[in-house]
Amino acid sequence: MASLGEENLPGTLAFMELAIQQAKLALDSLEVPVGCVIVEDGKLIATGRNRTTETRNATRHAEMEAIDVLLEQWQKNGLSKLEVAENFSKCSLYVTCEPCIMCAASLSILVKGFKCTGGIMATEAVSLLQRFYEQGNPNAPKPHRQSVQQVLH
Amino acid sequence: MERAKWEITHIPEKPPVSPTHQPTVDVLASVVDPKLANTLVRRLNQIAPLENFCHVKRIQKKQMQGGKTQLAIILCLASENENPLDGIPNDVLELINSYQLSAFITKVCKYAALSKEEWEEQCKLWPTSYHPPTYNIEGITGFSEEDSQSVFSFMKSAVKLAKSDDGQVVNAAVIVDPSVKQIIVSACDEICSWHTPMDKTSVEACCLEQPDIATSQGVVNGVVSHETLLSKGPPDEPKQLYTGVSCLYPWRWAEHQSHASSYWHPLRHAAIVAIEYSAARDRRLFPGLGQIGNQSNQLDHTLSASISSQAKRQKTNLKKVEDVEKLDAHYNGFHSDAARPYLCTGYDIYLVWEPCAMCAMALVHQRIRRIFYAFPNPNAGALGSVHRLQGEKSLNHHYAVFRVSLPEEILDGGDHHFDIHINLT
Repeated sequence: MASLGEENLPGTLAFMELAIQQAKLALDSLEVPVGCVIVEDGKLIATGRNRTTETRNATRHAEMEAIDVLLEQWQKNGLSKLEVAENFSKCSLYVTCEPCIMCAASLSILVKGFKCTGGIMATEAVSLLQRFYEQGNPNAPKPHRQSVQQVLH
Repeated sequence: MERAKWEITHIPEKPPVSPTHQPTVDVLASVVDPKLANTLVRRLNQIAPLENFCHVKRIQKKQMQGGKTQLAIILCLASENENPLDGIPNDVLELINSYQLSAFITKVCKYAALSKEEWEEQCKLWPTSYHPPTYNIEGITGFSEEDSQSVFSFMKSAVKLAKSDDGQVVNAAVIVDPSVKQIIVSACDEICSWHTPMDKTSVEACCLEQPDIATSQGVVNGVVSHETLLSKGPPDEPKQLYTGVSCLYPWRWAEHQSHASSYWHPLRHAAIVAIEYSAARDRRLFPGLGQIGNQSNQLDHTLSASISSQAKRQKTNLKKVEDVEKLDAHYNGFHSDAARPYLCTGYDIYLVWEPCAMCAMALVHQRIRRIFYAFPNPNAGALGSVHRLQGEKSLNHHYAVFRVSLPEEILDGGDHHFDIHINLT
């Protein structure tokens, strides 16, 4: 999943904007707001957003959701394993939060030695996360976290 | 022939060092008059506190010949320059002069001891304090005989699952609630057989494999003796390649033959599948809770439909498990929030092979309490072999990791290596 160079900055920002839209969808469902899109040849081919609360499965991160969409789609289209591996290696992933160790490891299982760029539209992505944590994570066990307001008072 | 012994060892957060080769630092010390010791320690703790060396005791007490005790005291850390007397703080110098102390250089251990063995070696240089691991997870300081037998039984269930797939050995995972010694879910690698969430019939088909749980359930409370397990050599490194084990060869998924009838998925390692099953169980047993808003989507409907038929099937095959789950659900009716598990908090997982980084981090996310694995994973293991995720302080959850050593022959074709006498008394 190679990153785009400087000359493609407008494209990069447009795709990251779509990833942020996915993160907003997650926030609307009271999920930790992280979203992603996968792009092949300048075309958006999959989206994903965090679904850990809904599924009660803490591994259902945006990246895993988007990967599953592609694996299912490509196999429905009759692609072989080698073709799928080849396809993944031509894709770019735009995600609103630096992938965790699990997601990074998953991506490296699909595409060994992918390239990575950070910090794109970071302010927007962080402010979504701030909005989430200000309202408190309703899914976390009770005594864990005080809401920000309680801390401030 | 040697009798193989099953053993449980804790895999600590830091790679173990030989107790006799622990890193040291130089300190400046002096023998002092016992009458002055209190005053000097108090003063030194102010002017030269041993920051980052909380484990090192300030005073060393030595029994001399003739029954006399000699006290020595650490003045300060010695400078790493050529002349160790260079970096002495002025306050300490003053103290040395006013009490006529004769300073000498000696060595103390740099890091706090992680085990009793390390601590005993440390004290030969200079006394230190030793606190067994403070985060209180059962087993780190040893297992009772009863708990060991229960750990072995669950590992045996996992090994059995790992062998059950057409003679090919895969990785297997068993998630257990140790408080009631009960299997929550079990799963195998499914990188060659993915049943997508939308595919209702295949989700049911995969649940057919679950009667394995019932057979392994029987041994949980039994006393297991391991005298008939034979081992020809040290059980450390597996002698075979076991190419079907996903965590051992995570990057070779494209080379695997897959069943023509089903989809495949390079990331469906046993631990990931087990987490998915336990999440499905949570949704089935506690359906009302955790539903945010009214957004039940198609995925939810499909899953709950297939899960309820799974429950029916289990009723016939898994009477015991189902009864306990009913009890859970019943209990839940009165104490909804209290009884519902938050992810896998408090649960243990048994894996035949040490997990890769993806699986190890997935288990952090799902809040597993303890991980037991049988065979190390020299290619991609993330819990001691290649990486050591349990030592990653920045993570928001930490589990304890144990290796259950067992003879590799247990993976061989026949079941005769598995003939463990079970004494149901």
